[in-house]
Amino acid sequence: MGVERDRIDWSPRIDYTKCNNCMDCVEFCPHQVLKVNEAETPKLKVKNPNNCVVFCRACAKTCGLDAITFPDKPETTKMIKAMRKADKEAKASE
Amino acid sequence: MSKTVCVLPCNGIDKCAGDIARRVALKLTESKGYELICPVLLNQNKTRYDKALEGGSLSVIDGCNTRCASKLAGRLEIAIKEKVNVSEMANEQNIKLGVAIHEDEETDALVRVLLGKMSGTTEKQAESAVIVPKSVDYDSFTQGKFIFKVPKDGYYFNENECWVYVSGNTARVGISDYEQQNLSDILYVDPPDIGLKVEQFDDLGSVESGKAVFDIISPVSGTVIAVNDKLEDTPELVNEDPYKKGWLVELKLSDFEEDKELLHGFETYFELLQRKAAETDVED
Repeated sequence: MGVERDRIDWSPRIDYTKCNNCMDCVEFCPHQVLKVNEAETPKLKVKNPNNCVVFCRACAKTCGLDAITFPDKPETTKMIKAMRKADKEAKASE
Repeated sequence: MSKTVCVLPCNGIDKCAGDIARRVALKLTESKGYELICPVLLNQNKTRYDKALEGGSLSVIDGCNTRCASKLAGRLEIAIKEKVNVSEMANEQNIKLGVAIHEDEETDALVRVLLGKMSGTTEKQAESAVIVPKSVDYDSFTQGKFIFKVPKDGYYFNENECWVYVSGNTARVGISDYEQQNLSDILYVDPPDIGLKVEQFDDLGSVESGKAVFDIISPVSGTVIAVNDKLEDTPELVNEDPYKKGWLVELKLSDFEEDKELLHGFETYFELLQRKAAETDVED
């Protein structure tokens, strides 16, 4: 995206009032974004948000209970474009 | 005459979405040319439906994103011709279904919308304006037992494994060789509506395999002018030839010069993909 990953806010948000700990999302994601910790409540955690592929919402598609949401896509695109523009301008004025 | 349409609904008889799937299926199969498939019986004894399925096509009604009906079809290797998802359609229509079964104006309306979608005709599309290269030159690399191909010229990629090939003011979009191998056998392509306007990174429908549903994330902004209707009967083209015959959507471009800023050309995509493939290891 031309912007460091940790400056982009894109990762799953879990609604624990809906989640039933089925862990289909954990099994599905190949990027280790989500993690299960049996000893804790809630068991499901967003462990590595910056591993999440920007604009991917595939884990939410595995959730029959609609417990996973993501930030607004157009807003995120706007923010990335704004950051790139600011970076470019800063570089030009160096 | 036309073929039989076999209707396979969700079997969630204890929940509202499942009940709506059942209502839609029963209503559809009142008409001639439709046959209802009981998911439980299909699971137990597929031969019971062999005759109908051989001479017909399969329409699936999923209740929610657990997609039991689609997964059952996938497991039995029955190609899906069309499908709807009750919960997704409810979201689109801003209807909150809840769990408890209820028959009221709202659910009646949803049943009507779903019926309309399933028996609706597809819009006419423009003749393709994209000039595709006669032959594509690929580079490739090996990861485990997989070989991943990447076209060397003319294709741009986003980080969501979707490509765009531009020809004048129009463009074709598809999914990468890496993604089609990751998904394995593609059973169904859900195309976007003709005329749909999208911003860069908006959804352009989805492709689905037995393993997963994959959103097509548009590498460009523009208006959908055509979809690859060959994929309706032969979705496997996406697996066989992801960069040419397996293209998905054609768009009239809005501002490719700006979109290009957030896309990868061959060199950076090839590098990115090698790193990604090494990290995630594609499974069978």
